[in-house]
Amino acid sequence: MTSISGRQPILDDSLQRLCGALVPLLLLSACSMGTVVVRGTQTILDSGIAAMNRETDLDLAKAAMPANLKLLEGMLIEDPGNKVLRLYAAEGFYGYAYGFVEIEDRERAKQLYRRCYEHARLALEQSGISMDPEASPENELEAAVARAGKAAVPALFWSASCLGNWVNLNRDNPAGIAELSSTAILMRRVLELDETFYHGGAHLFFGVYYGGRSPMFGGNFERAEQHFRRAHEINREQLLLVDLLYAEYLARQRLDRDAFHQHLTRILESPVNLNPDLALVNAIARQRAGILIKSEDDWF
Amino acid sequence: MRRSYSQWTRHIITCIGCCLVLSGSLPAMAEKTYELKFATLAPVGSTWADLLQEWADEVKQRSDGRLVFKIYPGGVQGDEPDVLKKIRFGQLHGGAFTGYGIGHIYSPTRALELPFLYSDIDEIDYVRNRFMEEIEQGYRDNGYEMLGWMEVGFIYFFSKQPIRSLDDLKERRIWHWQGDPIGKAFFDASGIAPIPLSIIDVYTSLSTGLIDTVYCPPLGAIALQWFTKTSYVTNVPMANGIGSLVVSRRFYQNLPQDLQKLLKSTGQAIGAKLVAATRKDNQDSLDVLRSKGMKFGLNPEDLDEAQVNDISTRAAQSLMDSGYIPQVTITRIQQWLAEYRADKEQHKAVDAGP
Repeated sequence: MTSISGRQPILDDSLQRLCGALVPLLLLSACSMGTVVVRGTQTILDSGIAAMNRETDLDLAKAAMPANLKLLEGMLIEDPGNKVLRLYAAEGFYGYAYGFVEIEDRERAKQLYRRCYEHARLALEQSGISMDPEASPENELEAAVARAGKAAVPALFWSASCLGNWVNLNRDNPAGIAELSSTAILMRRVLELDETFYHGGAHLFFGVYYGGRSPMFGGNFERAEQHFRRAHEINREQLLLVDLLYAEYLARQRLDRDAFHQHLTRILESPVNLNPDLALVNAIARQRAGILIKSEDDWF
Repeated sequence: MRRSYSQWTRHIITCIGCCLVLSGSLPAMAEKTYELKFATLAPVGSTWADLLQEWADEVKQRSDGRLVFKIYPGGVQGDEPDVLKKIRFGQLHGGAFTGYGIGHIYSPTRALELPFLYSDIDEIDYVRNRFMEEIEQGYRDNGYEMLGWMEVGFIYFFSKQPIRSLDDLKERRIWHWQGDPIGKAFFDASGIAPIPLSIIDVYTSLSTGLIDTVYCPPLGAIALQWFTKTSYVTNVPMANGIGSLVVSRRFYQNLPQDLQKLLKSTGQAIGAKLVAATRKDNQDSLDVLRSKGMKFGLNPEDLDEAQVNDISTRAAQSLMDSGYIPQVTITRIQQWLAEYRADKEQHKAVDAGP
């Protein structure tokens, strides 16, 4: 079988082998092309987020964020297991809802916080906590969270933050109020593992948690004071959100008009370039302080 | 007697002056505004606080801004005894009170909270309507005007261990809201030695194990986060918690009649909304608690009727003996209930036909 006809099978065999090797390669590249592109653009995303955080023009930031959020969700379709992207999406939806939607449209903000939470919860699953905080008994959730290490901090933080703000807008709904304890369990673990994460955000959370309720409902003004103080220390008093939340929750709950006025005035009188990396959040705090201070006569 | 020219001039100037003063004060009188400082324990954003704000907005709008509320939500003015004290000193004018505070205004009202009094919500509404005139007069006699009625809702026991009978309660470390005569009467009548604590200390005491059983409505268990420290809830309500929207008589009587009428009519309407919303929230809360794994026990059929009647009678007797609720009030309520139940039975018989 050395004739041409005899060689034919050899050629066929080579082609087959070549094809056999190429097809999976092509398939593989077809499957991962999006993932490769997504992962390749991650540094651009990092820079984009840093640029957004430095934005001082609130109108520009408000207009730019939805497109970025949709881009992130598009990238997540390509790479659904990408935890970093999940957390960016959670952070983005949180910031957009808090900064630009909550005051104008509470119902829409609720939906956005839910979306934020869904992203964060998937990141939580990828961090090894597969149980749903909303559907788990408190002791089981506490046990699962206690096993989480430092790598789970971002997912714990954003899950608690998104769910916490959703609860805050659902105080008229028993199902919403019932989730308050779950958020505290998640955030307490953040405090244990890395109290400085995201500008000491866990301290801000507990400042509001203890400061925004009367002692009868679990409030504790001393603890709230300590958490706000620590958040200020971590940020060298450059994060105006600390003053805003102090005024909005603790000073109001304590019926302390002077403290309310002083903290809001400090925000309104702070220079725009207090800290360029915190420019956007400080601009949001300034805008909200302007709205809150108008309520002074109504609340005190 | 003839007046001189200068006297006439003086007289005219004086008249003009008076007219000017009067005309200056007329708009001021017409625009006089009244500010009603009103406190509630209901947290900001809760159904109660939202409805109270709705009430305030309506009153402001319908009075053209002559009567405006300043609402202090979330207990920022202190607990109910603190608020009553501030009302007496004129720092506040009114508030939304639960039975605990109402006991300080006109304690016989709390006959509506006697243990194991009602079988259903219709009985509550019937008895309350019959009793209302007397309650309003009682408030008035004690320096308050009732603007609207609310309720806290059916009160259940929440516990760490199951409660299968009323005798099981004797084995539990039960919280008693310090200074509450109704709770004390119930515990004394049941032979239970509770642990008296301020409501502020309950959550921590559940965590440390100082207490293992509390009583509250389902929404309260969620709002106060007590449900996170308990696993069981009884299916039989111990009592029905009441509430009122109240203003001091001093403030009320100082209002022009049209504003008195407006405050009262809108207060009654918002009270009805509050009752409906509370009943819904409590029902929803039971569903939420179920979804959170809370186990329900002690059904009506598990109760020993003779034991329940005995507890109810003895609790009522001790409240009468202490003068907290007069005998005549309790007797009347029992008569109204009997009357309502007989009427209901009769209707049932008629509906069933021959």
